[in-house]
Amino acid sequence: MSSGASGGGGGGGAASGGGNSNHQRGAAQRPNGQTQNKICQFKLVLLGESAVGKSSLVLRFVKGQFHEYQESTIGAAFLTQTICLDDTTVKFEIWDTAGQERYHSLAPMYYRGAQAAIVVYDITNQDTFGRAKTWVKELQRQASPTIVIALAGNKQDLANKRMVEYEEAQAYADENGLLFMETSAKTAMNVSEIFLAIARKLPKNDQSGGGGGGAGGSSQGRRLAEGDSGSRGPAGACCK
Amino acid sequence: MAKSSYSKVDEYGFERSENFNYESYDAFMSDYMRVLTRRAQRWNALENNIFRNTSVLKRFIRKGIPIDRRTDVWMRISGADKIKQNSQYSYSYMKKQIHNKAIIETIKIDLPRTFPDNIYFISNEALPEMLFGVLATFAHQNKEVGYCQGLNYITGLLLLATKDEESSFWLLKAIVDQILPQYYISTMTGLLTDLDVLDDLISKYEPVVSRHIKAIGMPWAMGTTKWFICIFAEVLPTETVYRIWDCLFYEGSKIIFRVAITLIRLHKPEILGATELGELMMCFKAMRSSEAVIDCHQFMKDVFKLSGNLSKNSIQKLREKYKK
Repeated sequence: MSSGASGGGGGGGAASGGGNSNHQRGAAQRPNGQTQNKICQFKLVLLGESAVGKSSLVLRFVKGQFHEYQESTIGAAFLTQTICLDDTTVKFEIWDTAGQERYHSLAPMYYRGAQAAIVVYDITNQDTFGRAKTWVKELQRQASPTIVIALAGNKQDLANKRMVEYEEAQAYADENGLLFMETSAKTAMNVSEIFLAIARKLPKNDQSGGGGGGAGGSSQGRRLAEGDSGSRGPAGACCK
Repeated sequence: MAKSSYSKVDEYGFERSENFNYESYDAFMSDYMRVLTRRAQRWNALENNIFRNTSVLKRFIRKGIPIDRRTDVWMRISGADKIKQNSQYSYSYMKKQIHNKAIIETIKIDLPRTFPDNIYFISNEALPEMLFGVLATFAHQNKEVGYCQGLNYITGLLLLATKDEESSFWLLKAIVDQILPQYYISTMTGLLTDLDVLDDLISKYEPVVSRHIKAIGMPWAMGTTKWFICIFAEVLPTETVYRIWDCLFYEGSKIIFRVAITLIRLHKPEILGATELGELMMCFKAMRSSEAVIDCHQFMKDVFKLSGNLSKNSIQKLREKYKK
């Protein structure tokens, strides 16, 4: 019931979110709508400089849409999306934050207790890559020690204006143990893939709730234990 | 019937959402048109004598300033006129001084991202240009603030109401320099203080809601940052926002707390029904399209009824208490 109410894009599921990427769908699909035996809920936060495409990545992932001009986010936006991964239903609670530097002091409340983070930069803007590194450092220092961090080099469709080399970002990601993909919210390239990669990396031994620190983590863990009855909605929606 | 009589775009050029409830809007509008006509007549009858009696003025403003008088009345009651008169430089002079490339670049990125669903902003160049003029000029003459995201939405709505770049600039200056000092500076201390003030007020007005929200673990900043930063622009329906701003310009920032308390009281059952953070956030988001806020005339009555006696003095004391 709660999942239904808050399922911003529950109907679509990963299948609609990443409609262009059939090969991924296979992995996320279950035959003939069998009941899922595990449901995990994870808190994921998006961080990065203003206008790198944080909201656009979320909009693509949750609703399968793209707006050339996405409104600037004030404070933060909250959305959910549920995907299926093997025998597990993964529900992401996504916090999409404001990028402008002065909103920085509000960020900790969003990454506190988060089990995953996507740090986004714009491949056509070197400064945004620097800012992404600062976010990664802050997360490593202040977020949950088990947080899964993904680095997204967004606006890959503008590769002809590239200012950040793929290899440079990949090397940085390797050094810091981050998942890394270049993405395009516009073409949908690697958008559902990056969320799926995160989902794969997150611990899914139910009670742990991903082992995230803070009160958020433990309360989610509790919900998951009793979540089975309410699971038909999202499970059916994304696995049919 | 009801569906066909309203355009997909509202009176201020915003596209109506897919789930827009035309029927309840129709019921509200047929009454509200009469209200608007009546208010216009009453204001016209008093002409400029309206400014003589402050209690009549306050009552009239709370019932809504007629559209065609909004710019002049806002300029006068907000103090923007005075700021303009006392300013060493004219707007056109200051506008010519725009030079900082970083500020210009940042603002330009946000121009097409401001109201991309508004036909007036996307269909002609004039409004985005005016928006740039106001924001860039403002950023250059108030260096402590510079450009803060959120001001683009406020300025956008000022422009849609006034259709005038210069008035919008002085009104923005009244808001940022006088009505909400310290909100938009780089540390945002004014905002952080007011979030604590709201927390304090809600714990007194609605202790049950306050405890519930704390138990779920939602900091007020999560649900209400945009309320304060945008003064409800992009949070509530446009007409409702203008009605709030009518009062904001005359009565000051206290109105933001009145509206916040009212929103929380009107949606108390939904808030208490939320069992986890995600649901709570959805509940805050849904306030935007609830019937209680679409009927702006009733909503403004609720604002002054449900937020009770809220003195400037008490807000001032709380602000001192939570000063950053």
